[in-house]
Amino acid sequence: MSKHLHAPLVQTHGVEKVYAAASKIAALKGVDLIVERGEFTALAGPSGSGKSTLLNIIGTLDRPTKGTVSYDGKVISTLDVDELSDFRLHALGFVFQSYNLIPVLTAAENAEYPLVLQGVEPAKRRKLSHEALKLVGLEHYAERRPDMLSGGQQQRVAVARAIIHRPSLILADEPTANLDSKTGAQLLDLMEDLNKDHGITFLFSSHDQAVLERARRVVRLQDGELKADEVRAR
Amino acid sequence: MLRLAWRNVWRNRRRSLINVAAMGFGLAAIMFGQSMMRSLQYQLIEKATGSFTGHVRVERRDIDEPKFPDKFMTDPEPAAKLLAADPRVLAWGRRIHLTGLISSPNKSLGALICAVEPEKEKIITDMATYIKQGHYLEPGTKGIVMGHKIAGRLDVRLGEKVVLMAQAADGSMGAEAFRLVGIHETGSESFDGQMVWVPLAAMQELLVRPGQANELAAKLYDIEQADAVAADIDAKIGPGNVGAMSWKLIDKEIIGIQAFQDGMLTIILGIVFAIVALGILNTQLMSLFERVREFGVLMAMGARPRWIVRLLIMESALLGLVGTALGLSVGSALIAHFGRAGLFLPVGDAFKYFLPFPSVIFLRPSWWMHSFACGTVFLVTLLATLPPALRAGRLKPSEALRHV
Repeated sequence: MSKHLHAPLVQTHGVEKVYAAASKIAALKGVDLIVERGEFTALAGPSGSGKSTLLNIIGTLDRPTKGTVSYDGKVISTLDVDELSDFRLHALGFVFQSYNLIPVLTAAENAEYPLVLQGVEPAKRRKLSHEALKLVGLEHYAERRPDMLSGGQQQRVAVARAIIHRPSLILADEPTANLDSKTGAQLLDLMEDLNKDHGITFLFSSHDQAVLERARRVVRLQDGELKADEVRAR
Repeated sequence: MLRLAWRNVWRNRRRSLINVAAMGFGLAAIMFGQSMMRSLQYQLIEKATGSFTGHVRVERRDIDEPKFPDKFMTDPEPAAKLLAADPRVLAWGRRIHLTGLISSPNKSLGALICAVEPEKEKIITDMATYIKQGHYLEPGTKGIVMGHKIAGRLDVRLGEKVVLMAQAADGSMGAEAFRLVGIHETGSESFDGQMVWVPLAAMQELLVRPGQANELAAKLYDIEQADAVAADIDAKIGPGNVGAMSWKLIDKEIIGIQAFQDGMLTIILGIVFAIVALGILNTQLMSLFERVREFGVLMAMGARPRWIVRLLIMESALLGLVGTALGLSVGSALIAHFGRAGLFLPVGDAFKYFLPFPSVIFLRPSWWMHSFACGTVFLVTLLATLPPALRAGRLKPSEALRHV
């Protein structure tokens, strides 16, 4: 995907999402948002405010009912299913609230899976998987399956999986919600380090104040509308 | 993908094992059934051709019942020379079949008289092996061999004389005394209760038909060549009132039995295939519902929908391969075991009325049919996966990720 000079990494324009099945309830009502490269941005808001819906639409997991999503200046919300898959495969990483590791694969195999989908050769995959696990402090847990790892460790593997293919944007939906506060704080430290040291852009959602305080920018949503956009000096 | 697919197959070990076992034992049952039917048919053909019919016959074309030709070939020698010259023919012999009257001092009965060339007949058929008292026919004698039942009805014993009466060529009734030299017990009512065997020369003399016969029967080295040999001989004989035919045109009832059994087998195979397909469909549907969120994760990572479809098909293919391998192993072992030990089937009594038939079937593999069964089980496994696989491919990532 060609990069447009000075174009923001992500730009949503008038994004609306109406769930037909749920009595035409609008989950998003014309959201305009710009995310620049290198940001460490949180989407805040109570349950039902539209955080996850917006993350899904930016992550191309869902399509907006109206409006557009652009990535590097190119509109991506109109791509077909295969093009969207390829886009996610190369440009995005995901961290989910409940880790969502594949239970039959080891930590190393889970971490390297985006590279499997990219068709990277096994030796290179193994090397990059080792590096990614080292980066999240789990190089000694490479051969363990998810059920042999704690929640925090599983989420670290999920982070390793999200960064292994060097995406420019990682989307994390409530990444600390299933972790205790100490483990959650450690995960945020890791995300922050990856953002600072490797320039990976993070856009994550949370309604936890302790988590939001770690973000350098907080976008607040309420009832599907963008209510506030706070940039913090840190 | 292969690694993920393989591990997914064994994710729910018990369910996969049940499926593999169902597939494997289903296939083994199919192979066993195929082998049993084919072996039964093989033995039936072997017995029918080996005890009476022969593999190829030369007869007159204008006869009503080719199994028991009632019209004579006045000069069978040109056809006899063709049979003698064909390298595919193991042995051939002239025969006369006719109905006549057989009389002992105590009783007279109607009988089916078979006049044969004794030395040749010992190779063409196995009737000599069924002799329980005395010995088989010898050339140049006026001996007679008959079944134990007809001997009982006539109340004759070895060494005693019976008289055969039949219509001679000139329309008169010919009669000749024959000495009972052998009594056979085949277990078949037709053979033991109705048939008598005499040397050809003696019968030609009785009928005043020197050099004549109403059939030439040949045994080939390979029965599979019967159609080809019959066609070749028939072509060489040329048009006229004499022709050659394979056993298939003579023992039509065996072909009928074969067709019936094949039809039954096809129905049974269809049922087993349907059971296998439903098992796989059920497994894959359950697997799909259990892993909807996981498919969402794979899609979020960038897996294309058809990649998900391929993953599920590969899982089924692996399951199918394991099931097929199990079925092939168990089926082959069963066939090998019953090939050596024999399988008792109470079918002998059903066939015994018509021909000597044992109730023990020695199974033999029918690899072409088994390959077809293996391929079909494997294909059915793949086809049964298509609906759930295509459904998984149509999942929306966001909805799949919300699936609980």
